[in-house]
Amino acid sequence: MTTSVALRSNEAPAGTGRRTGGADGSPSAPARRARKGTDVRTRVEIAVLAGPAVIMFVGFVILPVALAAYYGFYKWQGYGAPVDFVGLQNYTVIFTDPDFRAVLWHNLFIVIGSLVVQGPIAIVLALLLNQRIRGRGLIRVLIFLPYVISEVIVGTGWSLMLQSSGALNDLLQSIGLGGLRNDWLSNPDIALWTLLGIISWKYIGFAVILFLAGLQSIPEELFEAAQLDGASYWQIQRRITLPLLGPTLRIWAFLSIIGSLQLFDLVYIIWGQYIASTAGTSTMATYMVGNGRLSGNYGYGNAVAVVIFLISLVVALVYQRFVLRRDTAGALTEKSDR
Amino acid sequence: MTRKIRATAAIALIGATALVAAGCSAGSDAAGGDSGDGKVSMTFWNNSTTGPGKAFWQDTVKAFEAKNPNVTIKIQAIQNEDLDGKLQTALNSNSAPDVFSQRGGGKMAAMVNAGQLMDISDSIGSGAKSGISDGSFKAFELNGKTWAMPTNVDPEGIWYSQDLFEEAGIEGTPTTMDELNADIQKLKDKGIQPVAVGAKDAWPAAHWYYNFALRACSSNVLNKTAQDLKFDNKCWKQAGEDTKAFFDTKPFNDGFLTTSAQQGAGSSAGLVANHKAAMELMGAWDPGVISSLTPDGKPLQDLGFFPFPEVSGGKGAPGSMMGAVGGLSCSAKAPKKACTDFLNFVTTKSVQENYYKAFNSIPANKDAQSVVTEPYLTTVLKAYNDAPFVSNYLDTLYGQNVGNALNTSVVNLLAGKGSVSDIVSTVNQAAAKG
Repeated sequence: MTTSVALRSNEAPAGTGRRTGGADGSPSAPARRARKGTDVRTRVEIAVLAGPAVIMFVGFVILPVALAAYYGFYKWQGYGAPVDFVGLQNYTVIFTDPDFRAVLWHNLFIVIGSLVVQGPIAIVLALLLNQRIRGRGLIRVLIFLPYVISEVIVGTGWSLMLQSSGALNDLLQSIGLGGLRNDWLSNPDIALWTLLGIISWKYIGFAVILFLAGLQSIPEELFEAAQLDGASYWQIQRRITLPLLGPTLRIWAFLSIIGSLQLFDLVYIIWGQYIASTAGTSTMATYMVGNGRLSGNYGYGNAVAVVIFLISLVVALVYQRFVLRRDTAGALTEKSDR
Repeated sequence: MTRKIRATAAIALIGATALVAAGCSAGSDAAGGDSGDGKVSMTFWNNSTTGPGKAFWQDTVKAFEAKNPNVTIKIQAIQNEDLDGKLQTALNSNSAPDVFSQRGGGKMAAMVNAGQLMDISDSIGSGAKSGISDGSFKAFELNGKTWAMPTNVDPEGIWYSQDLFEEAGIEGTPTTMDELNADIQKLKDKGIQPVAVGAKDAWPAAHWYYNFALRACSSNVLNKTAQDLKFDNKCWKQAGEDTKAFFDTKPFNDGFLTTSAQQGAGSSAGLVANHKAAMELMGAWDPGVISSLTPDGKPLQDLGFFPFPEVSGGKGAPGSMMGAVGGLSCSAKAPKKACTDFLNFVTTKSVQENYYKAFNSIPANKDAQSVVTEPYLTTVLKAYNDAPFVSNYLDTLYGQNVGNALNTSVVNLLAGKGSVSDIVSTVNQAAAKG
C-alpha cells in the first residue's frame, strides 16, 4: 500500500511536465502565466481546505500543550492567572513521588501485558476466522462486539460482575470452585491482572479485525504455490502469513501501546476517583486527574500532563524510527525524490 | 463554478469554526445576573439528586419565586462525589453558580482568598440571626466576615440497626472502643457483617481516622494544623495506631474497597438500609440517605444512633464530635439582594421544618429543631448540644489538596498497603504539590 503511494507521487510531476512544458519543446509566456495562476490558486485552495483543520489543531492540540508547559512551572490553584513561579519544583516532586513511580510501573505492565496477551490470541483467532467455517459471521460479530460497547458500560458491567458478592464469585461457587473466589477488584495483588483481563476482552476484537483485513490482502497464489511445494499448514503460516502480516502487526502494536499509555476511562469508571492507587490500578492519567483537578493543584497537574506527553512522544518517535520505518518509508519519512 | 462554490463553502466553514471556538470562551459566562428590566435569574447547585431531597429544593425554589416574582432560580443537582470537582472547575473559569452548597473549612478559605464568595455579613436577616446558633455561623466566618448561611448541622456518629443488634444479643450501645469491639465480635459470631464502609469514595473510611484523631488530639492541635498543615504532633501518629488496631479486627463488609457510600443498595448506606450490615460511621445526613435506599423507600424503622466511642488516654475532650455545618454560599458575582433573600428564606422556620422532613436530618434553625421527633435524631441533637468541641471534617478543614491525600492514605492503610507513618508522610508530600 505504501509503495503505491510513493509511486503515484513520483508519476504526478512527470505527467504535469509533459503536458505543460513539453507541448512545443519550449515553454511559452502564456503557458508560464497559466502555471503561475494555477500555483496561486492551488495555494489558496490548500489554505482554504486545510485552514479549518489547522485552526482546530493549533487551537485544541498545540496551544493546550504549550499552555500546560507554561502552567507546569507554577504553583497554581486554578484561580486567576498563575503568579507563584516555582521553576522545576513540580517536576522534582513528580519524580520523587513513589505514587508516580507506581503508576509508571502499572502503565508499563499494561503496555507489555496487552501486547503479550492480545497479540497471539488475536492472531490465532484471525487465522481461525479466515477459514470457511460455519457461523463465521456470527463469531466475528461476537468477538468484535466488546470493542464497540462504550467504556462506561464495560466498566460498570464488569465492576458489578466482579464484586465480592458478584456474578463471577457466585459462578465459581456454584461450579465447585469456591476456593478461587476472590476480591477481583479490591485485592491489590490481583486487581491489575483483572484490569488487564478486561482490557484484553474489550480490545481483542479490534486486533482480530485488523489482522483479518491483513490476511485478506495476502494473495491466494502464495498459499497455493506453497501447498504445491508440499509445505505443511504450520509452515505456510510461519513462512508466508506471519511475514506478510508484519505491517499490520506493527501498526496494531503501535496503536495498542499508545492506547495503554493513555488508559484512563476504564480505571476511572471501575475504581472511581480515589482508590485506583490503593488497588494498584492507577495509571499516569488517573494520577494526573487525582493529583491535579481533584486536589485543586492545577499547576502540578499540568506538569504531570507534560511528563505524560513527553513519555508518549518519546515512545511514539522511537517506535516509528526503529519499528515502523520500513512500513512508512517514503510515505511519512521523506519526500519522494522529484 | 463548482470551484467557486467550494471555496465559498470552505470560507464559511472557517468562519463557523472560528465562531465555535469563540463560543467556547464567551458562552461560558451564563451564570445569572440582572438583565436590566428588574428580572433576575440565578443558578443554584446542590447535591440532592434523588427523592424527597430533590423535591424539597424544587418546592422551596417555587415558593421563593412565588414570593419574589422578579426572580427565577434554575436548580442543578449534582451527585455528591462530583460536586466538589465540578464546583472548583466552575469557580476557576469564572462561571460559578450564583448559589451553591458550602461546607466551610479550608475549601471555603480557598474560595474566599480567591475572591469568589459574596460577603453576606450585612444581609443576614433577623430571623436567621435569632434562629441559628452563633456556633453554626462561626463555621462560615473568616477574616471577621460571614461567607455562607447555615442551613443544617451534620454531627457524626455511628448509625446502627436495632434489630440486628438485638439479634446478636447486644444490650445498650457501646461507649468505649472495647465495648464496640466486643459488640462487633458478637455480630460476627451471628454471621452479620458488623460495619459498612464505602471506601471507594475514600472519605467514609477516612472518617474513622478523623474520629480517632479527635479522641487523640486536643482541639488546639486540630485547629493549629489547619493553619500550618504540619502533622508533626505525635497525636496524629497515635490516631493512626488506633485506626490500624481497629482496622486489624476486620470489622468491615466484604469488598469494602469497591463499595461506594451512597449510590444504590450495594453502597454502605444501602447495606444498612437493607439489614446487610449492622452499622456505619456517618454524618447526620445518613438517615435521609438510608431511607432513600430501603426496599420501600421509607425511613428505616429500627435505625439507632450512638456517638463515637471514647478512647482512653487521648488529649481530646470526652464528648467531642466530628460534624459539619452545611450551608449555602452566594458567588461574588451573584445579584446580591436576590441571592441573600433566598439564603434568608431557606432559614425560615417553615422551610427548615420541610428540610428536616425531606432529609430526615437536623435543620440549623433552633425553632425548627423542636419538631424533630425521631429518637435517633434527638440523640444526635443532645450529643451535639452537649459536645465541648465540634470539629469540621478534616478533609474539609484542611482543604482539598491535603484532605484528598489524607483520605487516600487512610484507605491505603485499610487495604493493608501502607503503614501508619505513611499517613503523615503522604500528607506532607501532598503539601508539596499544592
